[in-house]
Amino acid sequence: MNRTDMKDAMAQDVDVATRPQLATSGEILRVRDLSVQIADKTVLDDVTLDIGASERVGLIGASGSGKSMLVKAITGLLPRAARVGGDITMGGTRLQAGDDAAFAALRGRYVGLVFQNPGAALNPVLSVEQQVCLPLRLHYDLDAGERRDRVMTMLERVGLPASLAGSYPHELSGGQQQRVGIATALITSPRLIIADEPTTALDAIVQRSIIDLLVSLVESAGASMLFITHDFAVLSRATTRCMVIDRGRIIETGDTAALLHDPRQPQTRLLVNAAKTLTLNVNPEHHHA
Amino acid sequence: MTAVSDDGKRFKRSGRDRHATGNVPLRMRFGVIMRSMWQQSGGRFALIVMACWIAVSLLSLFWTPYPLLQTDGGHAWASPSAAHPLGTDGVGADVLSWLMAGSRTNLVIALLTMLVSAMIGLACTAVMVSGRRALASAGVVVVDALIAIPTVLLALLFAVPFGASIAVIVAACGMTYGLNMARIVKPSASLAARSAYVQAARAMGVSAWRVFFTHIVPSTFPVLAVQLSMSAGTSILAEAGLTYLGVGVPSGVPSWGHTLTTSVRLISVYPLTVLWPGLTVTLVVTALYLLGDAIRDCADPLANVELRKLAATVSRQTHNTGVDA
Repeated sequence: MNRTDMKDAMAQDVDVATRPQLATSGEILRVRDLSVQIADKTVLDDVTLDIGASERVGLIGASGSGKSMLVKAITGLLPRAARVGGDITMGGTRLQAGDDAAFAALRGRYVGLVFQNPGAALNPVLSVEQQVCLPLRLHYDLDAGERRDRVMTMLERVGLPASLAGSYPHELSGGQQQRVGIATALITSPRLIIADEPTTALDAIVQRSIIDLLVSLVESAGASMLFITHDFAVLSRATTRCMVIDRGRIIETGDTAALLHDPRQPQTRLLVNAAKTLTLNVNPEHHHA
Repeated sequence: MTAVSDDGKRFKRSGRDRHATGNVPLRMRFGVIMRSMWQQSGGRFALIVMACWIAVSLLSLFWTPYPLLQTDGGHAWASPSAAHPLGTDGVGADVLSWLMAGSRTNLVIALLTMLVSAMIGLACTAVMVSGRRALASAGVVVVDALIAIPTVLLALLFAVPFGASIAVIVAACGMTYGLNMARIVKPSASLAARSAYVQAARAMGVSAWRVFFTHIVPSTFPVLAVQLSMSAGTSILAEAGLTYLGVGVPSGVPSWGHTLTTSVRLISVYPLTVLWPGLTVTLVVTALYLLGDAIRDCADPLANVELRKLAATVSRQTHNTGVDA
């Protein structure tokens, strides 16, 4: 087997063969009437959403609307003081609030997270290889050689040279750091990728390349994605369906292109207009006229 | 616990795994750290003194110039000579032999104190940065209350039921230095506990304990290294003080504090006999303090560029070997 064949075989192996066989149907994530209260303040109110197999769903909302809290609730990372109501079903497993072990077993294996600030989300004292390898160490019983092969394959797939494997996060650019974050999230071939504003800390050119990379990797892996952002321009590139969240409630759902073209709710209209003015460089008033 | 997927690959059902170690072999990492320390003047001094201390301690297990219990009443308080290079004490025992034998006692005390203070310090830190707010607050209050008890008082309390012993010194020093360490390490541990990379680790399914030991503790390494070396150094000073008070090393057991105690009574008459144990204690304590600084600077990959270069080289070499194979 030559070098290319070996890499192709390994890539396929990482993607499909070792994926945990948890989901029994096309439903990846099911959330029903999810409510979260922290110190008597309602941060999520009756949130209901579904993500099917190979679906790329966006979640958009203004700052403080509850986007990140929803991610924390789905992944069981809410603060202990939070009071949670409703149902979360992931990979056929119904998750109870406070069942840390059940959430922890799914995190990193069934659901991978890509974080907002890649520089802060990488451990400063671990090398790139150690960071990317961590989920494999946690969830798979592979020997050092197998782990290493998978890490190198993954680094190549996210466009990082193997020479960076021994580098530390502060030696990388913002785009490279986010590529490490994506590699870490995808190394275990999870069924669901949650990207929490993964391009916010990056410049426009790097934003585009990171989104394209993320979408292509998620598509080639046959995974689903929940993409969280407050930027419609980013959302239209990364997702096909989206939900708008405002003050902890999902206020509008629909096809991303349609929602961007014809928002129905005033809050959505506000967000779309802001995106058109700032990011897409279109004057919405002019456009409507 | 592992399970086998359809293709025969093993995946774990739980998040438990071996401790995540670096990919650089420990031997190579140790070599680079030692070389970096040697290049610093403080580090070199500390390494030389430590090497001498350990060598003398080991040597004293097999050989001392004179047996410890051999005394020569006719040559009490003798000045340094070819027969007794550091002179003799009040009963005519060889000072060099007692200092050599004392070095192993002090080495044991320093090592055990470091171990106990690290255990107590890290346990208290874990409680103080715990996600459970009530537990964390209670931990801070308890540590603040206990930290007010001085080492000497604690040693006296322990000495009442157990008598003077090395264990009393280790327990008293380990507890007070451990609590101090927890208080000093807590701010950097709290910062790390609230950091995005700890959140990211938890999002990968890393357990709370593993997060503490593999993500929070390494981030406090610079403070921890200095505090642990200070604990070791201060335990030697405390041993001398507590032995002088009669609650330290029991009479008959060689230690630097014991040698100081026997000679300090006649310091105005025979000042030279106090000089040797005093000089030894000062030298070793200074070396331990400098060792902590050197370890902080050289063993932290963020501070030592040589360690980062090594990681990059090993990674490149292993990758090339793996692909070629």
